[in-house]
Amino acid sequence: MKKDIQRVRNIGISAHIDSGKTTLTERILFYTKRIHAMHDVKGKDGVGAFMDSMELERERGITIASAATFCEWKGHEINIIDTPGHVDFTIEVERSLRVLDGAILVLCAVAGVQSQSITVDQQMRRYKVPCIAFINKCDRSGANPFRVVEQLRQKLGHQAVAMQLPIGLESDFTGVVDLIDMQAVYFDGDKGEEVRTEPIPDDLQELAAAKRTEMLDAVSMFSDELMEALLEEREVGRELILAALRKAVIRRELTPVFMGSAYKNKGIQRLLDAVNDLLPCPADVENTALDMDRDEAPVALAADAAAPLVALAFKLEDRTYGQLTYLRVYQGSLCKGETIVNVRTGRKIKVGRVVRMHADQMEEIELIPAGYIGALFGIDCASGDTFVAPGLSLTMTSMYVPKPVISLAIRPKDHKAEINMSKALNRFTKEDPTFKTHVNPETNETIISGMGELHLEVYIERMQREYGAEVAAGAPRVAYRETITQRADFDYLHKKQTGGSGQYGRVAGWMEPLAEGDFEFDNQVVGGAIPTQFIAACEKGFRECLAKGPKMEFPVTGIKIAINDGASHAVDSSDMAFQAAARGAFQQGYFRAKPVIQEPIMKVVVETPTAFQGGVMGSLNQRRGMIVGAQDEGALCVIESQVPLAEMFGYSTVLRSLTQGQAQFTMEFLAYKQVPHSIAEELEKKAAEQKKKVA
Amino acid sequence: MIKTDLNLRNPLRCLGGPAEEVLAPGQFGCVLARAGVGKTALMVQIALNAMLNARNVLHVSLNQPVNKASLWYQNLFAHIASDLAVPQSGQVWESLLPHRFIMTFRTDGFSVPRLEERLGDLIEQNIFIPRMLIVDGLSFDEPVREMLSELKKIARLHGLQVWFSIRTHRHEDPGPGGVPKQLADVDDLFAVALQLLPVGQEIHVVPLKGVSLTPEHSRLVLDPTTMLVKNASA
Repeated sequence: MKKDIQRVRNIGISAHIDSGKTTLTERILFYTKRIHAMHDVKGKDGVGAFMDSMELERERGITIASAATFCEWKGHEINIIDTPGHVDFTIEVERSLRVLDGAILVLCAVAGVQSQSITVDQQMRRYKVPCIAFINKCDRSGANPFRVVEQLRQKLGHQAVAMQLPIGLESDFTGVVDLIDMQAVYFDGDKGEEVRTEPIPDDLQELAAAKRTEMLDAVSMFSDELMEALLEEREVGRELILAALRKAVIRRELTPVFMGSAYKNKGIQRLLDAVNDLLPCPADVENTALDMDRDEAPVALAADAAAPLVALAFKLEDRTYGQLTYLRVYQGSLCKGETIVNVRTGRKIKVGRVVRMHADQMEEIELIPAGYIGALFGIDCASGDTFVAPGLSLTMTSMYVPKPVISLAIRPKDHKAEINMSKALNRFTKEDPTFKTHVNPETNETIISGMGELHLEVYIERMQREYGAEVAAGAPRVAYRETITQRADFDYLHKKQTGGSGQYGRVAGWMEPLAEGDFEFDNQVVGGAIPTQFIAACEKGFRECLAKGPKMEFPVTGIKIAINDGASHAVDSSDMAFQAAARGAFQQGYFRAKPVIQEPIMKVVVETPTAFQGGVMGSLNQRRGMIVGAQDEGALCVIESQVPLAEMFGYSTVLRSLTQGQAQFTMEFLAYKQVPHSIAEELEKKAAEQKKKVA
Repeated sequence: MIKTDLNLRNPLRCLGGPAEEVLAPGQFGCVLARAGVGKTALMVQIALNAMLNARNVLHVSLNQPVNKASLWYQNLFAHIASDLAVPQSGQVWESLLPHRFIMTFRTDGFSVPRLEERLGDLIEQNIFIPRMLIVDGLSFDEPVREMLSELKKIARLHGLQVWFSIRTHRHEDPGPGGVPKQLADVDDLFAVALQLLPVGQEIHVVPLKGVSLTPEHSRLVLDPTTMLVKNASA
């Protein structure tokens, strides 16, 4: 493995679903000679694109799990993370962006900047990932790359600058004009592998000159030397332009835009040149870790292979030979045979096999130096764990992991499926922190929870395909909660002294709403009214009540319980008696504290042509949505609303028919809020019916 | 109960008569100040006051995205709640939110017919029926009489009280009667005008037209740290 960090690029390819990023990755791998044949995502040859290593991805034509792969282009080593585009999988996108130094934002020349492009762009902004844009599908009917450049400016606020001009469009798309070198570039051969340069066609001369001036004007803002050369009307060299451009890209102040068609094998080589020339190397990016010994003070990391190790596990995969852990090394080197420490568990681990990934194939290596992405075999850890050299206590900033908002019950068809299902669930929960699973002790059903309908659907399908676990899924259920709204006192005596060993315990105190956190227990008992050894039993008794609220059997959250008095019996008091007394006290105080049901509220952002604005607002309003605001952006309008998740099932179909398929929406969890009275009554009715059925 | 308490302690009452209504439906009011003095803050407090009285407010912002406009409300309410030690302020805030609708336009994309169309969408479908309209960010440096006259018709039709922010400039001298140039040409359309004037460390709320401070509240200021309106003489 070479170690010139200036020649390393860790990049991601992010875009709206169906913009062609998997095809683009496939073509990159072909031109960098990592693969020797190309396949289409939804190809007739049944092979599928190389990066979509999961069967399901090949069938659906979407990328679910990001596969990391490595390639070389003109002396540069490029690590590519292929990221999923659907909103339900954004934890994958966020994890990828966390470890990247730069990204290619792929946009469709026909559809332009779509809602998911906006989400992905926001994520890139959050992690300060510099990017270049690639306008794909210039061969499609209706392609208009300059409209997309304008959208990049208007909708995403990028200072977008076209670096190329298309030569012909739609079916006449034959190549691009390079505005730096001022030459036409064509891609010949069966697979576009032969790059031919020619003088710019006459009909494009004028436009090319104008666009070059526009580009130079924008770039010159970042280089005095370039500005002077332009003012003095001197000839400006390629190197000078690239240096200024690179500086601007790294500062995220300018987004160069390239054009092409991955499917028709056009424009990819020039995009790869741009990755080398414009995107940052690991040393250009400042990364920080948190020092656990100094109250999580931020510490800057040096991209130095000789410094002590700091690495982040950003993705896990279960392979035939064990768990594969994808890591990004931020500082130091991760060497085979060395001992490293998992900061979260404190456990020491000896590094066994170190590999470099190439989609689902691997290459054994000796070490992963700072700035590189690689993988380890057979290490037990969770996604997001930090590994360091012994003696260090640094942790990479932990990623924000939202709590699941939707759940459904799954039931294996037979015993074999049950075993496979448990294997699959074990793997999925380790890989994806937003996917959770538990067994409902009453119905004995396995419940899976996640971030959206599609999120859970895909896991169910993966269970069947990858593990052969046939499962039947129930209807999705919203994760309701209970909480109290006012303070209430309790004073409960649990007394059972008739026959056998007696039970005696009295617990008194109050409960009140807790603004932050799920539960707080406050012991204010003085003078031994409840002997110290039984206080823990009281807390345990209260905690037991939280799992299933007395009102509707939903988990109780946001409650503080304080005890300040009680009584005990020299012989008949026991842990069990005080646990029972606490449970009784909880029941007694709970209904006095005016309990309410809470439901998850989602932030729903709809982007629609202005003509459908009224209809879309109406549809959100019908779903008990509260519209926060509407942002008018010319032809399009963005409506921001807060809608209960329970009302959002099937909304994509409704929105599609309402807007002739021209609107898009994104949805993310916002907060838990009180369910309106009428809905709470309905829920109570349903629960009562359910109980009757069970009985 | 809590809402009533908040209302009673609202310093904006110092400007109102017995009905506590500074503007009648269909009337225009404005807040004038130089950039960054606190026009939006004062207008948002006027809006919050209406929301506390269960009146719907449509906030039209021409220079800020929805999130930013929303943040103004959130911050000012949080300041008011902590200032008055409002118990369970989270619940009060939640109950206020349905009374607010933010609409943002790009400055060049704003026109009265466009606003009317949007307003129609909201009212016809019974999504949101505003009683107060806040227009923040409209430039009064260009001729606006025609636009305001059209808006006046809409305000009368829907019974809206309309508040505008008007940006004045440091280098411009006020016209006769201390009325800033931006207001002078359209003065007749406005029933109420309030000006924010920085005086030393304080920002004074000076009634220019339509209202006056009640004798017991002789001085109204905007606290520069919280941007809350305070009755300095109390």
